[in-house]
Amino acid sequence: MQNPISLKGTERKAFQSRFADGLWDVFLGCFALQFAIAPLLGESLGDFWGSMIFLPIWGVVYLGIWLLRKHVIAPRIGVVKFGQPRKAKLRKFTLVMLVFNLLAFFLGLLAMLNFLGDERWFFNISAGLFPGLLGLFILMAFSLAGALLDYPRLYVYGLLLSVAPLVGEWLYQNLGATHHGFPIVFGVAAAVMILTGLILFVRLLVKNPLVEMPEQGA
Amino acid sequence: MSESSPELDLQRLADLDQLIHAPARLMILTYLYVVDSADYVFIMHQTGLTWGNLATHLNKLEEAGYVEVQKTFNGKKPQSILRMTDQGRAAFKAYKKSMQQVLDDLPE
Repeated sequence: MQNPISLKGTERKAFQSRFADGLWDVFLGCFALQFAIAPLLGESLGDFWGSMIFLPIWGVVYLGIWLLRKHVIAPRIGVVKFGQPRKAKLRKFTLVMLVFNLLAFFLGLLAMLNFLGDERWFFNISAGLFPGLLGLFILMAFSLAGALLDYPRLYVYGLLLSVAPLVGEWLYQNLGATHHGFPIVFGVAAAVMILTGLILFVRLLVKNPLVEMPEQGA
Repeated sequence: MSESSPELDLQRLADLDQLIHAPARLMILTYLYVVDSADYVFIMHQTGLTWGNLATHLNKLEEAGYVEVQKTFNGKKPQSILRMTDQGRAAFKAYKKSMQQVLDDLPE
């Protein structure tokens, strides 16, 4: 059965075209990949530099995505600016993500002090509880982002990334996987996200070949 | 003749804004109504219209003052940005209201 025509639905469809190229999936996949690689790099570079090394990589990936969208995607699917209701929703998204990032920073700090054995800290997170809390946090952040951005694949990615720490911990305790299983579980999650993004990207290029247009509006 | 007689209700169909009523133009205006602005390629991609078809319909909408076309450059390539005018928004709202009324009044 066909869905009824609605202005909201049309606006949502227009906005969702932003994610049709799969490049955000690749970007998020790189984010997941960081969790897989950082523990391995931590052995040689130390925990701090093992994570910090990703900052320039993030910059390069972001620049690459920006260039691809400007020079490859925009000529194929066009450019659109959205009205006030969507801008308000995006502002809400930015605010929610800012709160989540601040929370992640403080929780990360707390976890680090906790693992270093600093007993001055009031919250003593048990090591067994940590993967569950991390998973719940990731699921909440991705679900909220999925709802605010009308980006349904984020629910799947949220679920995938939220079970990763739990599965990793299980692999660590039962099969002796190194680094709490992070390289395996986050590596698999990253591969799923990056592959999905690449498939969508190639599909978009194939379905929308670049054709020479007559002068626009002529 | 009472106000709710079928003749009077059906007369409303003839009163619909014919410029908007054409399916292709209705699609174009629906997209432009829900966004702030978009370029030719985006509207073509979303509506599935061909370049020539889109240009023809947009000319009519521009002449009626429903849509404004702003010509700019994206690097060295010319780009036409389409935006619905206030007049276009008012006409679209009126069309939507009339259409809804006509459909609501149609017998089962």
